[in-house]
Amino acid sequence: MAVTVRFLTAFQDLTLSKKLFLVEGKRLDQIIDELETQIPGLKEKLLDSEGKPHPAYQMIHVKGNIQELCSKLDCPIGDGDEIVITSLISGG
Amino acid sequence: MYGFQGTMLVIDLGEGKVLTEDLDERFARNYIGGVGFGVRLLYDRLTPRVDPLSPENMLVFASGPLSALGFMGSTGISVVSKSPLTGLIGDSDLRGSFGRNLKSCGYDVLIISGKAKSPVYLELTDGAVEIRDAADLWGKTTAEVQSTLSHVNEKGLSILSIGPAGEHLVKYACISGDVRFFAGRLGMGAVMGAKNLKAIVMKGGKETPIADPQGMKDLIKQVHYEVLHDGSCDTLSKYGTWNNIGPSNLKGTLPTKNFQRTTFEKIDQIDGEAMLNSISAGDRTCPGCPIGCRRVVKGEQPYRVLPEYGGPQYESVAALGPTVLLGDALAIAKANELCNLYGLDTISTGVTIAFAMECREKGVLTPKDLGMDLKWGDPEDILQLIRMIAFREGAGDVLADGVRRASEKIGKGSEEWAMHVKGLEIPMHDPRGKKGIALAYATALKGADHESAMHDDVFERENALPELGYVKPMGRKEYQGKPLLVKKTQELWGILSDALPICKFPMAPPRPLTPGRLVSALRLVTGWDVSLEEFLRVGERIFNLGRLFNVREGADRTLDVLPDRFSEALQEGGSAGEMITRKDLERMLDEYYNYRGWTKDGVPKEETLIRLDLKNH
Ligand code: SF4
Repeated sequence: MAVTVRFLTAFQDLTLSKKLFLVEGKRLDQIIDELETQIPGLKEKLLDSEGKPHPAYQMIHVKGNIQELCSKLDCPIGDGDEIVITSLISGG
Repeated sequence: MYGFQGTMLVIDLGEGKVLTEDLDERFARNYIGGVGFGVRLLYDRLTPRVDPLSPENMLVFASGPLSALGFMGSTGISVVSKSPLTGLIGDSDLRGSFGRNLKSCGYDVLIISGKAKSPVYLELTDGAVEIRDAADLWGKTTAEVQSTLSHVNEKGLSILSIGPAGEHLVKYACISGDVRFFAGRLGMGAVMGAKNLKAIVMKGGKETPIADPQGMKDLIKQVHYEVLHDGSCDTLSKYGTWNNIGPSNLKGTLPTKNFQRTTFEKIDQIDGEAMLNSISAGDRTCPGCPIGCRRVVKGEQPYRVLPEYGGPQYESVAALGPTVLLGDALAIAKANELCNLYGLDTISTGVTIAFAMECREKGVLTPKDLGMDLKWGDPEDILQLIRMIAFREGAGDVLADGVRRASEKIGKGSEEWAMHVKGLEIPMHDPRGKKGIALAYATALKGADHESAMHDDVFERENALPELGYVKPMGRKEYQGKPLLVKKTQELWGILSDALPICKFPMAPPRPLTPGRLVSALRLVTGWDVSLEEFLRVGERIFNLGRLFNVREGADRTLDVLPDRFSEALQEGGSAGEMITRKDLERMLDEYYNYRGWTKDGVPKEETLIRLDLKNH
């Protein structure tokens, strides 16, 4: 189950400016665990102190023009799907 | 009185008179400061229907209680006047040290009326107020004014100035602060120009007393710790507000080609990473803020861009980039630099150029009319048109009045693509993908303003803002719940932040400046026993008084509208299919007016005014 993860204006230092990652996983938490092996230190920043997705970031499940926000770690992700990890827009 | 000097400086430039007035503590508690003071003073002292560019209009520079110290941008100032762009109440805030410096000269507020017979500048110190001849400064850019007047001193000096655009009464001329902070919107620079006032230099040494300095120190320490460690400000620190560019494009809310669409094909050349890797030359911060979101840029070829003049923030990048289809980071930085030097609001400039480009594309304006080809995305034409607008040369003259007036003059259906609300050009968040922002644009006191209410994206998660009752997530494209959300955050984020004042960015959830903390700061600085309820009521009071000002100028529900373009569905991107029809907006307005306690026509009801201690206005 290959999922593309794209970083958009987030974690450039940790990813060493690489934007696209291919990972295996059927749920968001599995994908984050898999990403951690490729990008050590990511999980600690992407999740808050309670282990939930950090509110300063959004993980958006992109299927063509359809976008769904993954706010829970058990969010199911399909083969070939894309997840974009990006900073939260707060205006300004 | 803690948190204040207790004095207002009143200058009539026509008469050359300088007076001081006491600042009453009851007045201060009812309106806090900044925009609150400005709205109250203008409501009380301005003759209705006065021409914004006439000597009778007043220009109010107001600090707030927090300006006394450096706490997350609190040293800033509000500039409030009747706007030449909208004809309604206008305010624009500057970060920097201008509020603190006004206080250090011994004043909380500076009120300027009249028109000097010839160009002047003001020099304020804690011992004197001088009205000085500015004949040699007239015609100079903001940077030239800065370097000429900086000789007055070295450190701790603040200079507010206008460029040629303000002198030429461009209706969206801005006021520059130390060449890198801007009271950008609503033409405050034109009001200054109309008064023959080129600059204000401030330097004083007075301290403002604080009720509980140790308590304030502890609060600052705690907030700074969270800013640096809780992860909520990391991308803002790293990318500045460029952190919005890529996500806006992804979500389909990035205005592109004059709001014809919301995704930009050259996004990879101008998003946060691209800007950082191409033109970034470091960052700057505001007093007392560890975030440091202000970018510095530089470049040599083909455009020389100097780091001194402030890099473009998100709004400027989007307005001078995708909105006009320019996908070249350095050319955008150059356009931004020119706007800063000439003293033009970057948002209104970008949207006005996009309007002209669409006129050209549709054959409503010809290359002969324009004096150039003006094709979408042509950097040379964009830079040239910025100069022409600033100096009102050729086609720049009609464009210098903003898209509403320009479209009225040009006609031929161009009103259809004049993107404004109440005369203020739409900022860089397409409201079709954010229904709260749509309502905020329609109802903000000053027209389409992106900082008047919190953005919908923030509320897409649980517990976004529990102190205001926001615990359940709300989708950004949904209508439900937005009228009340807009009302509440217009008061908190739109108004109270500018009254204290404090920077809005660290107030946006999940960042650490919660409403409770703002109240704590206000209590610690002023010693007032103020509750969250009282604090929020002040925001509601100021908003309603601003609405009364606008009603007095003839505004009502008929002005709370959006351009028709937003009733067309977006065809692509992350907000594909989204639109806001007139009916959708009317439905939201009904609900919103109801929460506000306004009539169906959008006028505050008597019981609302009684509740807010505005019975006699
Ligand atoms: S967040 Fe940015 S604009 Fe706000 S006070 Fe800090 S540096 Fe200044």
